[in-house]
Amino acid sequence: MFVLLNHLQRLRRDTPRAPDRRRGSLAVRHVDAGSCNGCEHELTAATNPFYDLQQYGLNIVASPRHADVLLITGAITTRMAGPLRTAYESMPEPRLVAALGDCALGCNLLGDQAELAGPLETILPVDLRIPGCPPTPKAIAEALTAALHRPSSSGHSSGLIR
Amino acid sequence: MSTPHSASGHMPGAAEITAVPAGAWRQACLDANARGERFGGLFARRSASGPAQLRAVFSTPGSERLITCDATERTVETIVDTIPAAGWDEREAHDLHGINFTGHEPLRPLLDHHAPLAAWTVPTVGDDVHQVAVGPIHAGVIESGHFRFHVVGELILHLDVRLFYKRRGLETAATGRSLGEGIAYAQRACAACAVTNTVAYAQACEAALGLEPDDHLRRARTVLLELERVYNHLNDISAICAGVGFAAGVMAYAALKERAQRLNERLAWHRFLFDTVAVGRSAISLDSREAADARRELAAIRREHEAVWRQLGFVTSLQQRLEGVAALSAADAERFGAVGPAARASGLPHDHRLHSPRLHYGGFTAAVSDVASGDVAARTNQRALELRQSLELLDELLTRPLEHGTVRRRGGETRTAVGRVESPRGVTVCVIEREGDRLGALHLRTGSYANWPVLAHTVVGELMPDFPLINKSFELCYACTDR
Ligand code: SF4
Repeated sequence: MFVLLNHLQRLRRDTPRAPDRRRGSLAVRHVDAGSCNGCEHELTAATNPFYDLQQYGLNIVASPRHADVLLITGAITTRMAGPLRTAYESMPEPRLVAALGDCALGCNLLGDQAELAGPLETILPVDLRIPGCPPTPKAIAEALTAALHRPSSSGHSSGLIR
Repeated sequence: MSTPHSASGHMPGAAEITAVPAGAWRQACLDANARGERFGGLFARRSASGPAQLRAVFSTPGSERLITCDATERTVETIVDTIPAAGWDEREAHDLHGINFTGHEPLRPLLDHHAPLAAWTVPTVGDDVHQVAVGPIHAGVIESGHFRFHVVGELILHLDVRLFYKRRGLETAATGRSLGEGIAYAQRACAACAVTNTVAYAQACEAALGLEPDDHLRRARTVLLELERVYNHLNDISAICAGVGFAAGVMAYAALKERAQRLNERLAWHRFLFDTVAVGRSAISLDSREAADARRELAAIRREHEAVWRQLGFVTSLQQRLEGVAALSAADAERFGAVGPAARASGLPHDHRLHSPRLHYGGFTAAVSDVASGDVAARTNQRALELRQSLELLDELLTRPLEHGTVRRRGGETRTAVGRVESPRGVTVCVIEREGDRLGALHLRTGSYANWPVLAHTVVGELMPDFPLINKSFELCYACTDR
């Protein structure tokens, strides 16, 4: 155990820290609306010791009721459109919607039209777009930290939310 | 009774077709089963004119059989009483194509999400029995799916799993595309199994075209498959640590997985090895410098894994949380058609790498530990065992550079062929039917699809708070089950 913790500490020491750690935090709730699981893997990777998303004040929370940002992955399937709307409606205001990955952005979608609900843009107002298939953990960390200091669709500076 | 009308036999992956009338469907399947052919999936496909067509895959290590019938009256007799592994397949064929399986009663909806709760769940009654609904949106960064636990206190009496929230209709969308285009659909089914699914797809197409891979292509695909296995196993050990809230283990293995994925990117320009597999050729080559670099990094990953793994062995609170939880017996694993590390952790020696002449696994033996106790601890240890094995395999495979591979003609063309590849979660079966150079049908039955019902069976009698841990010990994909 001791060796293990030492090892992690060394890893942390050897990984470059973010040059600019501004104040503020964002609570992020993720919804998989029909992904291939690649975007989920990379979002999780953004919390590993190499990227350490939490150091920027970005936390993944368990409920949309605790969240400032709804982070959505995947082509929006007809079966997930309903739960997705429910999650959005459960969020307190002000809130941001982030599209993570090309599927959520509506690019290069594969699939049967009968099973897909249409682009995310037509379902929810999208504030933040993170392209890639999947976006790298680095790109995810950078896009989310940038969001800390950008106004939301409702005019508030999201960095001041919490 | 069965009338084989095409027997190409020698070409690996080319399917022998046994076409039967609907009335003989069950018997044909049971006959194949009785001959020792292993069930590998059942599905229906629409036909342009006429009734839906049913297909069942049975195989021996060296041969593939497709039993086919026209479901003229939309009804055939079930096979689940003898082959319980076909349970989800029959429910899917019913929900998608309206085929009834007499004797499979009740035939509960699986993909039909409009069905009322009472129709798709097993009724449980008694004092204090209640249901706990979880999902489709989960609390962590997890794929979407719905679980309905029937519990008394914290004890799980039964679990109904309702997936398919992520159904994108990939197989339908692929139909009518060229064989070359179709591979994108197999890849997008699942990032974590992208190499497995695309190699299975490419194998099926090549077999249908009468082509076989040369040695370079075999080796390249084997390297890619093992790279995929390495990062998956590292991920899964991390996830199991998360299942018991052991953060140091989660992070140590997350860091190892990151290293493995960075290596993937260095070797193949993509962290999940996307677009590295193509029909009829390899899309990757490594010169001797790159191969040596990869071996060095893999050796470093192995050293670090061994050190961390040793440490985990000393954490009694972790080990005690894994032992004895959710044991799957060898008999049940066999009966329900469990595959992959989960099956081997219960003592079944099945590993399709043993029977993969189109890949480069000469001298391979399946890793089965002497304490195949089938519990969470065994499934965790199995991953570590197979991780070491994969790292050794890669070390050997990368002693030489990887040159661009290709295919050569081996036999005649066939309409239907099967690809079969061992994924990090178990054997994945891909069936294609050609119409000229287009896809007439595509069916992907992944290791996860086979194991979901096994997981549901395994959690019975366990504690509800242990579910995340048990779930992680199988670590099944939703994406390639839903497709
Ligand atoms: S963007 Fe790419 S990685 Fe993300 S869900 Fe879509 S296909 Fe998968």
